[in-house]
Amino acid sequence: MKLALTLVLTLLFLALESVAVKYVGLGVARIDVTVAIVAFLSLRAGLLEGAVASYAVGYLLDLMSGRPTGLYTLLAVVTFLLGRVVGSLVDVRTARSFALFAMAADATHGLLAWGIGSVSGKQMALSGLSGLPLEVFLTGIAALILYPLLKRFGLGAERRDPGLLSP
Amino acid sequence: MLSFLRRHREPLLVCLILAHALGMFLGSSRRVREPNLVDRIAFAVTAPVQGAAVATIDGTANAWHQYVSLRNVRRENALLEEENAKLRADVVGLAEARAEIERLRRLVHYDEVSPGPKVVARVLGINPDPNRLTLRIDRGEGDGVRRGQAVVTADGVVGQVLRATASAADVLVVFDPNCRLGGRIQRTRSRVGVSGGGDEQALKLEYLLRTEDLEEGDLVVTSGTDGVYPPGLVVGRVTGVQRQTSGMFLNAGILPAVNFSRVEEVVVLAPQPAASFPTRSDSQVRR
Repeated sequence: MKLALTLVLTLLFLALESVAVKYVGLGVARIDVTVAIVAFLSLRAGLLEGAVASYAVGYLLDLMSGRPTGLYTLLAVVTFLLGRVVGSLVDVRTARSFALFAMAADATHGLLAWGIGSVSGKQMALSGLSGLPLEVFLTGIAALILYPLLKRFGLGAERRDPGLLSP
Repeated sequence: MLSFLRRHREPLLVCLILAHALGMFLGSSRRVREPNLVDRIAFAVTAPVQGAAVATIDGTANAWHQYVSLRNVRRENALLEEENAKLRADVVGLAEARAEIERLRRLVHYDEVSPGPKVVARVLGINPDPNRLTLRIDRGEGDGVRRGQAVVTADGVVGQVLRATASAADVLVVFDPNCRLGGRIQRTRSRVGVSGGGDEQALKLEYLLRTEDLEEGDLVVTSGTDGVYPPGLVVGRVTGVQRQTSGMFLNAGILPAVNFSRVEEVVVLAPQPAASFPTRSDSQVRR
């Protein structure tokens, strides 16, 4: 049920994002709503449930990209796993801290996409990494807005223990 | 063994998922695959949402513009109502007629360039992946749109259909680095290659000899030799000509004729037959 909800939300956000980009005209910078969702899953979903949902979210992003290569499916699962590791060290319970967490996840996701895409030659990077800072910033803002919404939809449960690095 | 599998069931399943994703990425080719059932479902779900969002935003914007226009018209009416009523009606009538003539002229132009069926489509959105520049349009296989068809506006070339489902299609725009087309300098008739540079403000002009005549502002049109675009469609104007002291070809860019950030409606042209050149056997037959 949660998986279906995650997929519906992802499709909805991706559709709305593509329309927003059309009107705002952000050039090559995008808002990575899917990374925000994966970051949320890595904080609150179980290992298997989150990995499956991240796989599905990444697959949808691949589909929406026009030329699916499977890169974003792979990166979504990797980002989820990295997010779980980092999530065990930090305490993310507010929208602001979630925005920072999502920004870090997006920066990692962007770097990995650029690196793997360039090395494999399956995907041409248009502007290198020049658009990444703006993309990370916009994803952070999107994460601020999405956090209460995702919480309300109940994608995953609140973690009880604080992170290892939290005071 | 079984107890090990049972104990580590979740991590093992996650490893399987990761391995499957990796395998899918490594196994994928650069060629665009045909949309499968999942792709079609995703298209079917997102296209109406995109359409509804576009309609809502356009509707709101139109209502706002109409409201502003109405206020302006009222203010003007207060001053000039009696004196200019007839004149304004004439102007409105002329503007309508001019717009109609312009639309017909453009359509006639496309009929000359590319006879055959055409599909007018609306741009629904831009894909969320910054590394692939595709637009989504609201016409698909159900409307006769097929992969590889040329997509244009009245200003010039937009791109080609990358893949289509029943109700929507993705269009690869010409400034995507994966896009290539055959072009011609209109003034000199020299044939050139045009490729995307990843920047909507600049295409790359390729394979033009250093010694060829080329000036800033020269118009580049399609040559029709790529089998996608009919000849004579405007691509853009030459910019940044650089003649190196060595090498075979000169370097130049092309400023696209189409303003991609403002494309709202496009025309999908019928497939073009590949350009045919006389072969040796043809010439022998003629002799």
